[in-house]
Amino acid sequence: MSSGLKKIHRQAANRMRVPTLVAVVLVLALCVLPIWIDGYTLNNYRDILLLGLFALSLDLFWGRTGILSFGHATFFGLGAYGMAITTIKLGLDPAWASLAGLAVGVLLAAVVALFVGYFILYGGVRGAYFTIVTLALTMIASHIAIGWSSMTGGDSGLIGVPPLSVLGYTFYDPVSSFYLALGALTLCLFGSLWVMHGRFGLVLKAIQDDETKARTLGYKTQWLLLKTFVVSAAMAGLAGALYATGTGFVAPDMIALLLSTEVIIWVAVGGSGSLVGAVIGTAIVWQLQVKISSISFAAWPIAIGVFFILLVLVFPEGPVAFLARKLSKLRGSRKGEAQ
Amino acid sequence: MQAAIPLILNAMTLISILLLVSLGMAIIFGLMNVINLAHGEFITIGAFTLVVIQGLGGSFWIALIVAPMVGYVIGLVLEKILISRVYGNPLHAILVTWGLSLILQQVIQLGFGSAPQPVSGPFPGPVTIAGVLYPAYRLFLIAFALATFVAVVVIFKKTRFGLDLRASIQSTEIAAVMGVNPDRVNAHAFALGSALATLAGVLIAPMAAVTAYMGINYLARSFFVVLVGGAGSIPGVAAGSGIIGGLETLLSYQIPVTVAQATVLILAIVILRFRPQGILPS
Repeated sequence: MSSGLKKIHRQAANRMRVPTLVAVVLVLALCVLPIWIDGYTLNNYRDILLLGLFALSLDLFWGRTGILSFGHATFFGLGAYGMAITTIKLGLDPAWASLAGLAVGVLLAAVVALFVGYFILYGGVRGAYFTIVTLALTMIASHIAIGWSSMTGGDSGLIGVPPLSVLGYTFYDPVSSFYLALGALTLCLFGSLWVMHGRFGLVLKAIQDDETKARTLGYKTQWLLLKTFVVSAAMAGLAGALYATGTGFVAPDMIALLLSTEVIIWVAVGGSGSLVGAVIGTAIVWQLQVKISSISFAAWPIAIGVFFILLVLVFPEGPVAFLARKLSKLRGSRKGEAQ
Repeated sequence: MQAAIPLILNAMTLISILLLVSLGMAIIFGLMNVINLAHGEFITIGAFTLVVIQGLGGSFWIALIVAPMVGYVIGLVLEKILISRVYGNPLHAILVTWGLSLILQQVIQLGFGSAPQPVSGPFPGPVTIAGVLYPAYRLFLIAFALATFVAVVVIFKKTRFGLDLRASIQSTEIAAVMGVNPDRVNAHAFALGSALATLAGVLIAPMAAVTAYMGINYLARSFFVVLVGGAGSIPGVAAGSGIIGGLETLLSYQIPVTVAQATVLILAIVILRFRPQGILPS
C-alpha cells in the first residue's frame, strides 16, 4: 500500500475514533443501568435502545452514502409485522416460533430492500428521486398494513406477540429483555463502526463525493450501494422484530410515514454520519417527544414540521454541530475580549 | 360492450383526477425541479376552501373561482419565505416542504376537526350515456380536466409568461441576461402549480372524504405520474396519468383498492428501471 493511501486510511480511522470512544462509554454506562432502575422505566429504555438501533440503520445508509431514505419505517414495520404474523397467525411450536419470527422479519425487510433497491439503484435513481420512491414505499406498506386486515389486523393491529425465546430461555422480564436490546444494539453499532472504519466506508465516501469517478476507478458502485441498503434494511427489520417482542403488539403506526419522518430527525439531531450520534439523538428526541405529545396530540407533528424547516434554514449541518460552532465562536470572542 | 362502458368511464374519471392533481406537480417538480411534498396539502386547502364557501352559503362555482386564487396567493407567499431558499438543493426542499406539510395538516385538523366535512357538487344524479347510467358530476369532471389541460398547454406555448418560464428552465443565466427576471418567473410558476392543486382539490372534494389528511393520498401518485410520464414535459403528464390511472382502475376490479394502488406504484418503480427518463420525455 502506498504511503498516500495509508495516510487516507489513517485519517479515516482518526475521524471514527471519537464516535467509537463515545460508543464504548455509552454501552458501558448502559450495561450498569439496570442496577438503579427496573420495571416499567427499564422497558422504556429498552424501547429507546431498539429505536436507536433503527436510527443507526438509517444512518448507516443516509449518513454514509448521502442518499436519504424516506422509507425506513417500511423495513422496521416489516420486521415487526413479520414477527407478529409468524408468531400469532401460523400456529408454530412456541419453543421456536419467536426465532422463526425474527428470521422472517429480518428476511422480509432484506428481500423487499433488495427488490426495490435493485430496481431503483440500478435504474440510476439517486438523490431526491430515491427519497420520493422510498417515501412511496412506506405509503404502499402502510396501505397494505391497514387494508389487509385478515392478516395484519388492520387499524387495530395484532396483539399477543410473545417475548423472544432462544433454546428454552425466554427474554421475559424487563432486565433480560433490556440486555437483549442492548446486545443487539452493541453488536450492530460496533459492527457498523468497524466496517465504516475500513476500506468499505472509504469507498462509500468516495461514491458520495462523486459516483462517476468511483465507478471509473473500477468500483461497482450500484452493487455497493445496494449491499449497504439491504444491510441497513435488515438492521431496521431486526429492530422492528425485537421491538414487537418487547411491546407485545404491532400497530400500523410502526410502518407509517410519520415514523419514517421521525427516524430522520433522530439521526439529524445526533448528526448524520457518526453512527453513535443516531443512538444518542434517538434518546434525546424521544424524551422531548413524550413531553411534547403530552401537551396535545397535534403538538408533536407541528414540532417535527418546525424542526425540519429550522434544520434547513438555520442549522443545515445538524443542531449539535450548530451549537458546537456557536459555542466555539462565543469562547473565541471571549478570549478576544480578555486580550 | 355494455359492461365495458362504466369501466372506461371510471378509468377516465381517475385519469382526469390524476391529470388535475399532477399538472401542478409537473410545473413545480418536473419543470422547476423543486420537490414539493406539501403539494398534497394544497389539494386539501382547495377542498377546504369549498367547505368554507359552502358553509357560508356560497355555491360550488364560487369556490371553483376562489380556490385557485387562494392557492395562487399562498403559493406566492410560501415561495418568497421558504421555497426560494431551497432552489438547487433537493434534500433541503424535501425537508422544508415535508415540515410545511405536517404543519398544514395539523393546523387544518385543529381548525376543522377530524371528521370528514360535508360538501356537495353540482349535477347530482346520473345521466344515460350509451345505454348506461353514469353520475353526471364525473362527466363534468372529465370535461373540466381536459379543458384545464388544454389551458395549461396554451399558457406554456402561447403566452409571454410561458415563454419566460420555458426559457429560464433551459438556462436561468441566459434568460436573465435576456431580461427575464428569474425570481419573478419562479415565484409565479410555483404559485401557478399551487393554484392548479387547489383547483384540483375543489373538483375532487365532492367525490372524496374531505379531511385534513386527504392530500397525502395523491402525493405519491402524482409524483409517479410525473416520473413515469417524463419529468419536464406537459404531454408526459397526460401519458403518466393515463398509465397510472388506467392500470389502477383495471386492477381494482380484480383486487382490493389498496392492493391495486400498491401494485401500480410497484409497476411504476419497475417502469422507471427500464425508462428512467419517462414515457414522453421533454
